[in-house]
Amino acid sequence: MSMKAVNRRSFLKTSLLGGAAGGAALFGPWTHNRVYAAASDKPIRIGLTHDASGQFANSGQAEKRGSEMAVAEFNAKGGVLGRKIETVWMDTETNPQTGTRVAERMITRENVHFLAGAVQSGTANAISQVAQKYGCVYFNTNSSSPTESGANCHRVKFVWDGNGENFSKAAARNAINSFGNNWLLIYNDYVWGQNTNAATKKVATEYGATVMDEIAIPVGTRDWSSVLLKIQQMKPDVVAAAVGGDDFKVMRQQVHDMGLDRNPAWINNQQDWPDIFGLGADAAFGVFGTTWYHYLDLPGVPEFVKQYQEMYPTTRISVPGNVTYNGYVAMRELLRVVEEVGSTDNMKVIKALEGRVMTAKDRMQHFDAVIDANSHQVQQTIYLAEGNAKPRDDTDYFNILSWSDPEAIRSSAGDECKLESYADTPSYDQG
Amino acid sequence: MLYDLIPHIINGLALGLLFALLALGFMLIIGVMEVINLAHGSLFALGAYVALAVMVPDGGLPYAFMEPYYALPDVPRYVIALIVGPLVVAVVGAGLELCLRRTYGQDPLYGLLLTFGAALVLEEGIREIWGSSEYYLPIPRGISGGFIAGDLIYSTYRIYAAIFAAAMIGLLWLFLNRTPYGAIIKAGAHDGEMVRALGHNLSRLRLFVFAFGAALAAIAGIIMAPIWGIRPVVGVDAVVPAFVVIVLGGVGSFWGAVSAGLLVGLVVGLTAAFATDWSLLSMYLLLLAVVTFRSRGLAGKASVLES
Repeated sequence: MSMKAVNRRSFLKTSLLGGAAGGAALFGPWTHNRVYAAASDKPIRIGLTHDASGQFANSGQAEKRGSEMAVAEFNAKGGVLGRKIETVWMDTETNPQTGTRVAERMITRENVHFLAGAVQSGTANAISQVAQKYGCVYFNTNSSSPTESGANCHRVKFVWDGNGENFSKAAARNAINSFGNNWLLIYNDYVWGQNTNAATKKVATEYGATVMDEIAIPVGTRDWSSVLLKIQQMKPDVVAAAVGGDDFKVMRQQVHDMGLDRNPAWINNQQDWPDIFGLGADAAFGVFGTTWYHYLDLPGVPEFVKQYQEMYPTTRISVPGNVTYNGYVAMRELLRVVEEVGSTDNMKVIKALEGRVMTAKDRMQHFDAVIDANSHQVQQTIYLAEGNAKPRDDTDYFNILSWSDPEAIRSSAGDECKLESYADTPSYDQG
Repeated sequence: MLYDLIPHIINGLALGLLFALLALGFMLIIGVMEVINLAHGSLFALGAYVALAVMVPDGGLPYAFMEPYYALPDVPRYVIALIVGPLVVAVVGAGLELCLRRTYGQDPLYGLLLTFGAALVLEEGIREIWGSSEYYLPIPRGISGGFIAGDLIYSTYRIYAAIFAAAMIGLLWLFLNRTPYGAIIKAGAHDGEMVRALGHNLSRLRLFVFAFGAALAAIAGIIMAPIWGIRPVVGVDAVVPAFVVIVLGGVGSFWGAVSAGLLVGLVVGLTAAFATDWSLLSMYLLLLAVVTFRSRGLAGKASVLES
């Protein structure tokens, strides 16, 4: 065994070089690159960030069912690129802090290839920040704050739901003509509510409405009686509400109980199917938006409903709604794109998604949809609906009033979106 | 201005009675047994779910077996729900008290942890049986809808619920102060050893009090269900204001809890009307203000146990 003499000079030199290398590893470069040895036959893992608790627990599980349907569909055909699709699900608890933790864990420990799922915009924003840090493609399936594809947009994030401005544009002009121009705005006091309310205000005033007041409602409000009394005292023609989740359910119940669901006219930005299912058509009050309905008279809709019922025979929500639909079409498109580009490499997937046109027939909607290349929001058909006075069965709550061409209701939120450049987005491929 | 204010004051008082109703069972258990029952909210939720099962065909009971029952008019089914719900939850509460026995005389933290665990178990149990979807507890036609008062429409059910809450408060006070059982309960809390020495079974007394407190939580759940809706986490909505009311009123004080409930209702109601974004916070600011100057709450000295 030979021993090499170490003198002071060589020791210092080695230490300095070692220190510099260690420092570089600690302090830079800031861009994370997670690229593993190229492809194999190992499964493609998808991290599902759907809520199972908190304000949007019910909707979170509904979109999870949609995601799983698409995964099952592909696995039944042999997977993607000859590889099986695996899902890893963690409850994001309708909570941005948990969203951050879950996304971090999914990427660094579970080595997922992609992330999908969110109902609450705060949580979606938190997840997308982590996803952008690593370069992991993330599908925000159901959160609809305009900021998600506006100020909080990211190169890796794709937003699949219509946003508050889309819905407001679809509803505002009709409501002013039909009900009057004195509008009262109420909204949940968090990111989705605030931004949706701002979008509604902008659209309504553009069309000639007078905004009497804007009432911020704290998240978790369980008693609406004082607000409802105040609304009666103010006598608006229209109340435009951006209230979601459990708060919306409680509000709806109390509005109905006080007999205020007909006068004034209510415009509820979007009515998610899990928030209403089981309560009957009476609970669908006012005019509201949705991206999909299980009784749309379009090809593929009955088959999709049947597929859902076969996969979830005991689920209480016996027919899929807009939330499950978004979860399904988003996941299906992701897997198709991976198949098309022949890789799970994030840049290839992102570029294939940007500007991607999806036909109306394929998406079971009335107009073609497109993923806006500048904001990453899916511009799609928005349906206006009201409670159905003549339901054909006990799931037929909505009466679809009209549908809008995505171009006519295009959101301007994307103007505020500044996507990170490709170069500033870390490369990411789990192999 | 005053004319505009009157409906909000009346609404605040009605809301206050509901807050007091929420806190009754919590107050009884904490006052008599010195256990902070964090499962109060879950027992509240369970009461609502059991009432749902009694009221509607898809509420959790086997429909085919119960078909003739569900053909009954809504009033008798509602009355049965108001009886069966509290009875079922009382049995669950009694079971919880049996589990709690090993913690008596120990650090109060053990009781707190046990009831917290029980709350989680109950909530998950509810999710397992009824799922996580929203339910609506139907109410008899006679107490549903709105009625017109001047220029305003107000909920008939809220008036009914406030009157019901006032009646429950009165009945509980009569029970505690005008019956020999009430006297034993109060004495048991004040000096358990003496009650035992006088030949009363202290274990049975505690079992009864806990079951009774749980039944009161269930009654509050059934009354609040048509206003708040029913979902597994609805108990969290109940336990927090109940706790605030108890601390604000003075732990163990009957009239302290009632007056704190009314005060919280008024403050929350008026704040919601004029500064809505502060409405939830107002309850905690009130608590902070009162506890800063009266650490034992509004009536901390004159508890039902000491009267």
